[in-house]
Amino acid sequence: MNVRAPHSNNVVIQSLTQIGNCGLFLLTLLAAIPRSFRYVRETIRQLWFVGAMSLAIIMVCGLFIGMVLMLQLYNVLSIFGSTSASGMVVALAVYRELGPVVTALLFAGRAGTSITAEIGLMRATDQIDAMEMMAVDPIAYVATPRFLAGLIAMPLLCCVFCAMAIFGGHLVGVTWLGIDNGTFWSNMTSVVVVHTDIVNGVLFKSLVFGAVVSLIAVFQGFTTPPTSEGVAYATTRTVVASSIAILALDFVLTAFLM
Amino acid sequence: MTQPASPSSDDSTLVRIRGLTTVLNGKTIFDALDLDIPRGKVTAIMGPSGTGKTTLLKHITGQMRADAGEIRVNGENVAGMSREQLYKMREGVGYLFQNSALLTDFDVFENVAFPLRQHTQLPEVLIRNLVLLKLQAVGLRGAARLMPNELSGGMARRVALARAIVFDPMLILYDEPFVGLDPVALNQVLKLIRTLNQTLGITSVLVAHELEAVKQVADHVFLIANGKVVAQGDPKTIANDGSPWTRQFFGGEADGPVPFQYPAGDLAQALGLTGAAK
Repeated sequence: MNVRAPHSNNVVIQSLTQIGNCGLFLLTLLAAIPRSFRYVRETIRQLWFVGAMSLAIIMVCGLFIGMVLMLQLYNVLSIFGSTSASGMVVALAVYRELGPVVTALLFAGRAGTSITAEIGLMRATDQIDAMEMMAVDPIAYVATPRFLAGLIAMPLLCCVFCAMAIFGGHLVGVTWLGIDNGTFWSNMTSVVVVHTDIVNGVLFKSLVFGAVVSLIAVFQGFTTPPTSEGVAYATTRTVVASSIAILALDFVLTAFLM
Repeated sequence: MTQPASPSSDDSTLVRIRGLTTVLNGKTIFDALDLDIPRGKVTAIMGPSGTGKTTLLKHITGQMRADAGEIRVNGENVAGMSREQLYKMREGVGYLFQNSALLTDFDVFENVAFPLRQHTQLPEVLIRNLVLLKLQAVGLRGAARLMPNELSGGMARRVALARAIVFDPMLILYDEPFVGLDPVALNQVLKLIRTLNQTLGITSVLVAHELEAVKQVADHVFLIANGKVVAQGDPKTIANDGSPWTRQFFGGEADGPVPFQYPAGDLAQALGLTGAAK
């Protein structure tokens, strides 16, 4: 994979060059997917690292976000005597926005950085070149399994996040603040639409975010200068670029899917 | 002893380089370089730091493309190869990296087994036997289950060598194989290079700075500087050929054809003593 390093001092040109190179890298990744099918075990191993190993942080964060959301909503809605709608609003907020966005941000911080650092260090210690010399395609063996693992893991993690957030909201709203259990669930199920909120809101958005975060993480790892400083900058760039991309794409996707 | 690279090419030449020209970041690394690497011999590439020795190895393996010129490995033009053809060629080429480049997720056994698992469908028992034989050859069968971070520099290099020879390649390229080794480890690596060359008939190319080590193991030496071969010949006599390059390089002189000072402008001007400081 030949990626041209941005030489210009102009930040705009540098950024555009990076985006262009990232697009070319995506095409290389997609072209390598058929070749990476023989590395299914490696993809499963990466799925464990980026998916299963991220479960703890996703579950804990989901729980607390659901809890605090319910607390805030209950306080505001009690002014209007509409506390019974709290569960419904928590569900809509989580399914449509908070679930995919926060899961993606957490995923970028937890899995994206580790992917970038790992690949960057592999480059710095010539492991990528060694694979090339052993006639093993590093894009098919290293990049694509991590990209696919991120793509598969993100929707699953987002579902777990949403479930934990609803559970957190239930815990605070029903168990602590005394909202009726039946009202909580019936209001929620009457408003949430599977296609709009679950398929478009949770699954599609998280799939797109998973692809974007994994692409940025793998691209930064492969193009980082093979130095300790280069790897440090690359991991930072992964978080910054992923966060901006997630929030910007969230707006675009929401506008199109509404 | 100094002589131009022979233009002849026959079965006795495994790697044939003609008119190799490489410019990196505006600096000419190779300037119409001609070089023949004989089959079945140990050839050493020597030269000042930054002269492009590792770059030359990367050209031979197709990791880097040259700006002009031709490299033929076993008669095949490397520049004209597709990715699949390059990978096919590399299955017959072992490469020993300066820092060993072992895969840090895998233990010693799995590192050596890695190329076999990627390119063959051999049964597990055969892979196990092959790996153990290669590790036995480098004296590290007992270290099969150690992780790379548990190995010394010399041990890591021997594991990398076992991995490089796992397919019994026709050519092995050694990039600075003696750097950072203590005398014992250095002698072990020297012995391995010579043994592999003699017993398996592998053509070996090593990039090195250590003349004493090269004298013990190499059949032929090329001294590269200024993008060309400036001297070549028998390692035991090349140092005495009398050219300014060999005198400086093998005599370890601080100044000579390779200048002590990196090219720069006038010192007085740089210090502002002429009133036109930059």
